[in-house]
Amino acid sequence: MSAVNPTVPLELPSRGVRDHVLSRLLRQPAAVISLVVVGLIVLGTFGAPLVAPYSPTVSDYTRLFGPPSWSHLLGTDEIGRDLLSRVLYGGRTSLTVAAFATVISMLIGIAWGFVAGLREGWIGEILMRIADAAMGMPAILLGLVLVAAFGASTLSLILILGALFAPATARLARSTLLAELRSEYHLAAVSVGATRTRIVITELLPNTLPVLLARASLVAADAIFVEASLSFVGLGVQPPDASWGTLLQQGYTNLYRSYWYPIFPGIMILVAVLALNTLGDSVQRALDPSRS
Amino acid sequence: MARYVLRRFLTSVVLLLLSSILIFLVMRVIPGDPTLTKLGGTIKDVDPRALEAIRHELGIDRPLPTQYLNWVGGILHGDFGQSYFSQFPVTTLIGQRIGATVELAVMAMLFGLAIAVPAATLGAIWRNRVVDALLSGFAALGMATPAFVTGIVLIIVFGLKLHWLPTQGYVSFQNHPFESVKTTLLPAITLGISVAAPTLRILRTSLLEIGSASYIRTAQGKGLLRRQVVVRHLLPNASIPALTTVGVIVGHLLGGAVVVEYVFARQGLGTLLVDSVFQRDYGVLQALVLIAAAAFITTSLVVDILYGVIDPRLRVNPET
Repeated sequence: MSAVNPTVPLELPSRGVRDHVLSRLLRQPAAVISLVVVGLIVLGTFGAPLVAPYSPTVSDYTRLFGPPSWSHLLGTDEIGRDLLSRVLYGGRTSLTVAAFATVISMLIGIAWGFVAGLREGWIGEILMRIADAAMGMPAILLGLVLVAAFGASTLSLILILGALFAPATARLARSTLLAELRSEYHLAAVSVGATRTRIVITELLPNTLPVLLARASLVAADAIFVEASLSFVGLGVQPPDASWGTLLQQGYTNLYRSYWYPIFPGIMILVAVLALNTLGDSVQRALDPSRS
Repeated sequence: MARYVLRRFLTSVVLLLLSSILIFLVMRVIPGDPTLTKLGGTIKDVDPRALEAIRHELGIDRPLPTQYLNWVGGILHGDFGQSYFSQFPVTTLIGQRIGATVELAVMAMLFGLAIAVPAATLGAIWRNRVVDALLSGFAALGMATPAFVTGIVLIIVFGLKLHWLPTQGYVSFQNHPFESVKTTLLPAITLGISVAAPTLRILRTSLLEIGSASYIRTAQGKGLLRRQVVVRHLLPNASIPALTTVGVIVGHLLGGAVVVEYVFARQGLGTLLVDSVFQRDYGVLQALVLIAAAAFITTSLVVDILYGVIDPRLRVNPET
C-alpha cells in the first residue's frame, strides 16, 4: 500500500531539483576552483604534521627574521621558527575556530529562524526584533564587546563568533522557510494530515538546506575574517596558540625588521575568504540562475 | 507618507532601545569586577571599604534597572558617564578622539565612492566579458582582503620602500590641515578600498537588474547610443537601489575604522575602543558601542525615509 504513504510522491521532485543544482554548481569554473582551493587549504593545515617541513615551535637562533630561501620557503620569524610551518599550523586554529563557529551559528540560526517563521504573532515578532537589534552593529564591534565580556580565548572566540553570525542566519532561515510554506508540496503535506514536526523535518528542512548551505559557506568566510581581525588587534586567539590573525599581528609588530613576515598569513586569509565567498555565491547562483 | 515616516521612526527608536539594553546587559554579565581595573590591583590587597566607595561612586551598587535608567537618562542629557579607568568623563575622551575618526571616515568614503561609482558606470557602458570579469574580480578580491592586510601592504610600499607618506599617528586638522590630510591619506585609501568593494558589487547588481528592464529595451530599440541609454535612463533609475549602499558603507566604515586605526596607530575612536576592551573600561566601551549602533540605526532610518520619498510603493509594504 505504498500509494497511501504521503512521502513517496512528495520527495521525488525535490531530489530531482537537488541533482540539478549540483550539476549547475559543478558547471561553474569558479565554483570548482574554489572547492579545490578550500580542499587544499583544509588538507594542508590539518595535514600539517605530514606536510610542514619543520616543527612550528622549534627555533633556530642562527636564523632570526630569515628571508624566504630554499630551506625556509617563507622565511623565519623573530625567534627563528619556520614561517611556512607556522602558517600551516596557524591555519588549523583559524579553520577550527571558523568551522565550529559556523556550525554553532547555523544551528542557533536555523532553530531561531524556524521558530520565528512557524510561530507568527508576538513570539516571532520578538525573535526577529532581537535579531534586528543584534544586526544593528557591525560584526567586529559587537565581537569586541563580547570579547570584553567573556574574555579572549580560542573557546570563547568560537562561541562569540557563533553567536555573532546567528541573527543573520536566523533572518535568512525565516525568509526561506516562509517562501517554502507557500509552496504546493507544503500544502500537499498539510492536506494529507502530516504533523507539524514531520513536515518540518522531512519536508521543510531538506528543501531549505541548499540555501542554508550557501549561507554556511559565507559564514565560514566571515568567521575567518572576524577572527583574524580580533586576533590582529590582540583580542582573539591568545599566545602560545597561533592563528593567521596572530601571525599577522606578530608580523606587523616586526614589520620594520622583515616586511615579508606578515605577507604570507595575510595571503592565506585572503585566499581562504575569497574561496569560501566564491563557493557560497556559486551555490546561490546554482540555486537561482536568474541571479547574475 | 507621514504615517510611513512615523512608523519607521518609532521602529528605529525601539531598535535603539533594544540595542542599548543588549549592550548594557552584556556589560553586566561580565565575570570579574570592573572596579578592580580602577584600582589596578587584585582583590585581596584592597580595603573592602575602598571598593564599596568606588562601587558607589560609579553607581554599580544599585539594582540593574536603576543603573540602566540612570545611564540612559544621563545620555539624554549629554552625559555618557565616566571612564572606569581614568578620571575623565567619557564625553571628554570621545571629544579628543572623534576628529581623527571623522576625518578618516569622510576621506575613506570619498575614496570608496570615487572608485565604485565610475567603475560601476563604466561597467554598464562597456558591457563585455573582460570588463565584467575585471569588476567582479576586483569586488570579490576587495571583499576578501581584510583592511589590515591592505594597510600593511600600503605601509610597506609607500612607507618602508618609497618613503612618500607617513604611516603612523595623526595630526589634528585644525592645527595643521595639510599635515593632517597627509597622515590620513594611507588609512583612508585602506578603508576606502574595503568600502569600495561591497559598494561596487551592489551597484553592479542593481545596474544589471535595471539593464534588463523593458524601458531600457525601448530606449535601445528606438536607436539611442549605449552611452545615452546609460546616462539618461540607466543611471537615474539605478540611483534608487544605490541608496542601499549607504547603509553598507556606514557599516563598513564603523567596523573597518577599528582595525585601520590600529594598523596606522591613529588616536581615534577605534583605538579608544580597543584600549577600553584591554583595560576593561566598561564606561567607555558601552558608550562607544552605543554611539556606533545609533549611527548605524540613524543611517538606515534616513535611507528608508528617502526610499519612501523616491519610491511610493515601499510606503505601503516596507517588507519588499
